[in-house]
Amino acid sequence: MTALSVCTLTHIQPRVSRARIQEVGPRRNVLSQRVYDGIPVHELSVCQALLTQVAEIVDAQGAPRVVERITIEVGPLSGTEPTLLQNAFLAMRSGAASTAELRIDRCPVGIKCLECGAHSETRPNRLICVHCGSWRTRVIAGDGLRLLRVEMRIGDMQQSPDPAAKAQHV
Amino acid sequence: MCKTCGCAIRPTETHHNVMHPRPHFTVVDVVQNLLAANDVTAAHNRQHFDDHGVLAINLMSSPGSGKTALLEATIHALKDRYRIAVIEGDLETENDAARIRACGVPALQITTGTACHLDAGMVHEALHSLPLAEVDLLFIENVGNLVCPASFDLGQHLNVTLLSVTEGDDKPAKYPVIFRASDLVVLSKADLLAVLDDFDPARAAAAVRALGLDIQMIHTAARRIPSINAWLDWLESQLRTRVLPSTAPPSETILDQEARSPCA
Repeated sequence: MTALSVCTLTHIQPRVSRARIQEVGPRRNVLSQRVYDGIPVHELSVCQALLTQVAEIVDAQGAPRVVERITIEVGPLSGTEPTLLQNAFLAMRSGAASTAELRIDRCPVGIKCLECGAHSETRPNRLICVHCGSWRTRVIAGDGLRLLRVEMRIGDMQQSPDPAAKAQHV
Repeated sequence: MCKTCGCAIRPTETHHNVMHPRPHFTVVDVVQNLLAANDVTAAHNRQHFDDHGVLAINLMSSPGSGKTALLEATIHALKDRYRIAVIEGDLETENDAARIRACGVPALQITTGTACHLDAGMVHEALHSLPLAEVDLLFIENVGNLVCPASFDLGQHLNVTLLSVTEGDDKPAKYPVIFRASDLVVLSKADLLAVLDDFDPARAAAAVRALGLDIQMIHTAARRIPSINAWLDWLESQLRTRVLPSTAPPSETILDQEARSPCA
């Protein structure tokens, strides 16, 4: 089992918009990438960032890999909607991950009370201590938006397409 | 014995993968923030701001809650004392930047096309077109949206979320993520409270408090200048505590370096 640390990250920007800056001179190509017209949700940006990180992990293996499953954590306080992210993933997955499954762990919101020290599970819009009622709390779970695990097998996606996965594309 | 590969397996363990992962199969465990790349660029933007002594404020709200009107009133009140610039984010049109320029301060419009928020890369791109050395206070007016902008750090020092009194006092309960990211909540169009009987500022404050926040809530009515005094006082107190560059001018700023080799 290999562990990758966060320091493997690079300056790759999640961007799926056709953002541009007006009256600033010629457009630089960094601001024009794939466009998914009519889907103005930030889950596309998150998905793009996810696929970039997975591609970096695949590249680091040093041999062709087919990604079978990606596991991420999406907390209710992360601002990302798991269903939309799942849909974006099905539309955008490509390369070594073009047949991958996305598993989303929906971690519930957990807070720690800074007054009485109690831990409690609660709703995203009610972050006050369940035990003593104090609003002096700290969110300890449920605000994460993290890549947790990438499972892959040796193989080349182009040479040996998975027939089952092909059917999913139809 | 395992029927798949013939290995020894204890009778209590029936799941093949538990005993020995499939050959030629790799599992990589990471704990990696999905927006880490955006956060790196945001930190880079913040460094730009600090190198030039700029206080950067990200303004967020629903569409039509009065961000641009508040900026216009703020610029009229403060432009003689502070050098102000604005980055405007909208899906289309340059209308807001034109309104800001009409107030006599530089404004850059980012049109995001279909994107519902600004991200750190877009702001970074805009910074290269702004004379940061001649700016004390930079407002970034985000795309009008109470959902998406909350997830993307732009490199700002402070987040300000506007809640107009025509929207309903339960907005903080409906959109907890964006309010939780806020350093200040501005109740805009507060002059309309006199004719609205269904918006209770105390209920709005309680909804913010229920998010575990102890942040200020300031009332403004940008069309009546005296009523934004509390907002102006807050801004000035933040300007007094901003990070200022060292007294000796830096020999080479990040922007100077990028002029030779663009860092985007």
